[in-house]
Amino acid sequence: MSIIEIDSIYKTYQDEGVETEVLKGISMTVEEGDYISIVGPSGAGKSTLMTILGCLAQPTSGTYLLDGVEVEQLNDQQLSRVRNEKIGFVFQAFHLLPGVSAFDNVMMPLLYCHTSPEGAAERVERALERIGLGHRLNHTPGQLSGGEQQRVTIARSLINDPKILFADEPTGNLDSKNGAEIMATFDQLNAEGRTIIVITHDPSVAKHARRILTLRDGRIESDQTNENFQKSHTSSARAAAE
Amino acid sequence: MRIFRNLTQALHGLLLNKGNTFLMTLGVMIGIASLTVIVAIGEGTKAKVLNRIASLGFGPDSFSVYSGAGRLFFGRSRNTTSMTLQDADDIRAMPNVRMVIPRQRTRMKIIHKKDFTTTRIYGVTPEWRSARQWVITDGIFFGDADMERKRKVIVLGATPARKLFGDKDPLGKKVRVGQVFFEVIGLLEKKGLTESGYDPDDRTLIPLTTSMSRLLRKSHLHSLKVVAMSPELVEETMDGVTQVLRHNHGLSSLADDDFRFITPEGIMQWVTESEQAMNRMLLLISTVSLLVGGIVIMNILLVSIRERIHEIGIRRCFGARRSDITQQFLFESVFVSLLGGGLGIALGLGLSVALQQSTFIPAKITWEPFALAFGFSMIVGLVFGIHPARKAAWLNPDETLR
Repeated sequence: MSIIEIDSIYKTYQDEGVETEVLKGISMTVEEGDYISIVGPSGAGKSTLMTILGCLAQPTSGTYLLDGVEVEQLNDQQLSRVRNEKIGFVFQAFHLLPGVSAFDNVMMPLLYCHTSPEGAAERVERALERIGLGHRLNHTPGQLSGGEQQRVTIARSLINDPKILFADEPTGNLDSKNGAEIMATFDQLNAEGRTIIVITHDPSVAKHARRILTLRDGRIESDQTNENFQKSHTSSARAAAE
Repeated sequence: MRIFRNLTQALHGLLLNKGNTFLMTLGVMIGIASLTVIVAIGEGTKAKVLNRIASLGFGPDSFSVYSGAGRLFFGRSRNTTSMTLQDADDIRAMPNVRMVIPRQRTRMKIIHKKDFTTTRIYGVTPEWRSARQWVITDGIFFGDADMERKRKVIVLGATPARKLFGDKDPLGKKVRVGQVFFEVIGLLEKKGLTESGYDPDDRTLIPLTTSMSRLLRKSHLHSLKVVAMSPELVEETMDGVTQVLRHNHGLSSLADDDFRFITPEGIMQWVTESEQAMNRMLLLISTVSLLVGGIVIMNILLVSIRERIHEIGIRRCFGARRSDITQQFLFESVFVSLLGGGLGIALGLGLSVALQQSTFIPAKITWEPFALAFGFSMIVGLVFGIHPARKAAWLNPDETLR
């Protein structure tokens, strides 16, 4: 069953009277348990696509079915609930609440749950232990390394057991060792059946996915399996080399 | 409960942004403190005026006529010289009048050896004592013989007596006023400071004739005190006095009175009016100070929202509704207002007590402004918090994270 179905999504931004069309008719389907990378040069519309898929922004036109629900029809309260229960976000800049302990950062999504979950504190502790930060519950983001902060954001995005995980350049602010660890975590989460969508311009990150979507100038340029992407990529690289 | 969770988040937010919290609290605190202090001063002034009136010693059957046009204590001219002993005699001759006490008044230095003090000196007739019913604790009051011979005798109030003589007995001693030496013949009973610090004992009395020919060397009067036969006759008597004085002073029918009445009713009316004016002023000042506090909160919250735009975005990403963000910021502003209000009340109370202890500004502490201030600080927090809180809630989550 497809968890995401979008059809002819357009997104136009208005900035001081200047209209910029960022997405120009994007249609795609994501199956539950999929592992997708969205790649493309900067300005291609990757992040905008993610904000729409993540229900953070509404498209200018087009339809979006998330888990069978028409997102355009939802009001703020319902959208907030969808973001809370079905979606997890991991950002390049981590976006942890500054000055707030790792524990409280991971706890934050549970504060906005429809019904207050039982045993929330234990859940948060377990989540932090699983990512190896059980001993740093009370550390604030400033006291954690970049890799540790990103692990906290992963714990936060998973605390409500969402169906889909969005990651926007998750390794962008990390060194290669920490980046590899984060990607290994994603691979494992996907193996457990979670749908993962990673936005990146880093081919070494993109290749973790099973399916690679290339965006260029607001349109989908190609939608390939990883193997085909690698093939075409290496052949075009070879062609460029020759 | 969602609302309690938002409240907790608001408290966390305030603790994390200590600088902003401090400034907002300070804004409200100063507003509330100044409000309560101003009200205390207003109340103190009111009390002082009322005491002053009480100390004038009016009975229901008496009133005063002061020389010079104007109203009550506010003469328009200080050197009207039209009121004379002839006026006093003519008024005394009216059928409804029981007693008339003509007065001269000055404020001069009074000296005994090396000690001196400045006090009010009244030239009055011997009837003064029975009109004011003021007890002589020691010695005697001057009589008709002293008046006739313009004798240089003086009766001291408790304050000049203490300042010049301390524990010693002043009776029979000489004091000098200007170039004139007076013999102390009597002491007035001590009445004590009024609540507001007015000292009725700070006065001395000399025979009117002495005052006219030896001390002030002028014949016009400062005022007349008129006692009617009965309280009901006061109004009628005042009309008669007006006619007599206008006739004696040769005023044409177009000219204004060159004298003014001071009556208990007139004073009460004036007090009511000035109280209303004072209350209006206090209301205005309170509104301004609360407005200032509120605007401080609003501005700082608006700046704070700019600074915390990421926080808002993150919360929205993970399921915070607009209402959650609104509530969080509104709680912050209300909490800060209440904190500022509480601290402002403490500060205001401290300052009011300090003013009360010092004598140079009258202050009176009443509980109403403090209760009101606390209530208003909460309203300020709500009213001035709504705009920033809504602004924060209506930010687009995707734009806040860029």
